[in-house]
Amino acid sequence: MRFDVDTYREIADSLVRNKSRSLLTGFGVFWGIFMLLFLMGGGQGLRQLISANFQGFATNTCILIPDRTTMPWKGMKQGRRWHMTYTDVERMKMMVPELETVTPMVSNWGQEAVLGPNTISGNIKGVYADYQNIEEPQLRYGRYINESDVLHGRKVCVIGKRIYTSLFPQGGDPCGTMIKVGPVYYQVVGVDFNSGNMNINGSADEAIVIPLPIAQKVYQRGNDIDLLCATARKGFKSSQLEDRMRAIMAREHQFDPSDRNAMFVINTEQIFAIVDNLFTGLNFLIWLVGLGTILAGVIGVSNIMMVTVKERTTEIGIRRAIGATPRDILGQIIMESISLTLVAGSFGIVFAVLLLELLKKIVSMATAGASVQADPEFQISFWTAVAAAVLLSLLGVVAGLAPASRAMSIKPVDAMRDE
Amino acid sequence: MLIELKDVNKTYNNGQPLHVLKGINLGIDSGEFVSIMGASGSGKSTLLNILGILDNYDTGEYHIDGRLIKNLSEKQAAAYRNKMIGFIFQSFNLIGFKTAVENVELPLFYQGVNRRKRHELAMQYLDRLGLAGWAGHYPNEMSGGQKQRVAIARALITNPKIILADEPTGALDSKTSEEVMQLLGELNRQDKVTIIVVTHESGVANCTDKIVHIKDGVIGRIEDNREHHSSMFGTQTIMK
Repeated sequence: MRFDVDTYREIADSLVRNKSRSLLTGFGVFWGIFMLLFLMGGGQGLRQLISANFQGFATNTCILIPDRTTMPWKGMKQGRRWHMTYTDVERMKMMVPELETVTPMVSNWGQEAVLGPNTISGNIKGVYADYQNIEEPQLRYGRYINESDVLHGRKVCVIGKRIYTSLFPQGGDPCGTMIKVGPVYYQVVGVDFNSGNMNINGSADEAIVIPLPIAQKVYQRGNDIDLLCATARKGFKSSQLEDRMRAIMAREHQFDPSDRNAMFVINTEQIFAIVDNLFTGLNFLIWLVGLGTILAGVIGVSNIMMVTVKERTTEIGIRRAIGATPRDILGQIIMESISLTLVAGSFGIVFAVLLLELLKKIVSMATAGASVQADPEFQISFWTAVAAAVLLSLLGVVAGLAPASRAMSIKPVDAMRDE
Repeated sequence: MLIELKDVNKTYNNGQPLHVLKGINLGIDSGEFVSIMGASGSGKSTLLNILGILDNYDTGEYHIDGRLIKNLSEKQAAAYRNKMIGFIFQSFNLIGFKTAVENVELPLFYQGVNRRKRHELAMQYLDRLGLAGWAGHYPNEMSGGQKQRVAIARALITNPKIILADEPTGALDSKTSEEVMQLLGELNRQDKVTIIVVTHESGVANCTDKIVHIKDGVIGRIEDNREHHSSMFGTQTIMK
């Protein structure tokens, strides 16, 4: 194969000579690469958009919530209520050493928060300092509830984004201000801007987080807790520990360990796994559709090159007669095939990038007002585009192989016989 | 001897085996102007294909300039064709989407000669054949005679040892045919190019210095025709 200005001019010439044919064939490749890249970008953006909902939530958490029993046990009727107590927290910590954090929550919904003329309904969440291991706060101002608050029984609170914007419409740092929630005044010590949609006991937006002992006292809950959150240590799956925790609870609170409904268990790991699987499946589909489309386009190129070779039998024969080696012919056909694929594909890449940019703009406009602050990246990376171009060249070679081998089999004698 | 054929046999095996060349012995000296004459089916085209290294033969020996041409790889065959042989075809076989000068350049392109040099040379040859003004024209804009002259320029450009012409006048009228044959004769006399013309027309054969008659795959009479009285164009001939 000789690289010469004329080599390129010849390729350009032969592609331009059959304008509509080249255009139509190229469109197949163009559409294929466009589909692949556009779907890849779209899938990636969608994943990020969905993932934003889980922002700041520990992925290996079990939440245990007591419910009514549904089976009789040791002479006790079904339909019995039972309560978790703070002792269960210590018990879990001791009996299941694989747990990293075990932390309880006491909550009270629909509490009126008041500051001057502004009021808003919010949910009280009584927690310990280590609750931030479960639902990671994104503090805009101040700090979270700490050990000292719990120990000294301070009436302090961390407020969610909506509470903050309603009570402090003028903005600014609210720390130190006293607000009234239900019957009691609390001092604001922090503002949590966490916007994930995965929350326990109501959105973090509308939460007023206070130390758990205060909540127990104010709402006369004694030693009871509403629910218990537990995260597994690294290397352990919360789903594996679920059964053991259920058995311990059943023994202590006397319900049938096989009664799945007596205690409601939310396993975030499973939820994440579902979403993960969903996207793995989606990705598979994207690749299948994208590569399938591009393959169809490339087969089109191969086909049209076949026709070209057939049409040019005489020409190729002449070239062979005046001294072209089979290699020269091979090079010519493969180069034509690569050029067609690469030029058409490049347009596909550019078009996909432009459309993804547009999609990004539209999505960011649409989600501007939403509570979830996500900035999903729909655009494919530079290296993805480079990889796509490399893939195109390879496919160009593959597409050219069959026509080129046919062209190589043309004997110079064929040129004369054809007339 | 520039060309030496010793007992060359060729059989086509397409269903019924067809023994086309039955022991050809032929020697052609450098600078000769020879025609190979025979009716269709006589094996002259096969002989031409073998002479032009476009086809293989079964047994025997074929030497060009002392080199044995047998069982060559495609690459070697292409190189020999490119350097030693110039082809002139009946149907001109110019490439339709290339201009005259680009067509003439093509053999040099496959030799790897650089762009400017091959363009220069191609222009020289076109000029010699009186076609300098037509260099930028495409074959379909030219007359048959002009096309054949472009083809001759293409055959000459690599400065080959042999020019093989397969019915060079087959697609031309008698006047142009005569011009083309005269041109080939001049090239032979002035440049001492060895020219082998394959034809079935006695008028064409008469323009050459030596006529090799081939019949049923065997060489018959070899006629010395330096007087050119064998058969004239237009007079008492069966052609045109």
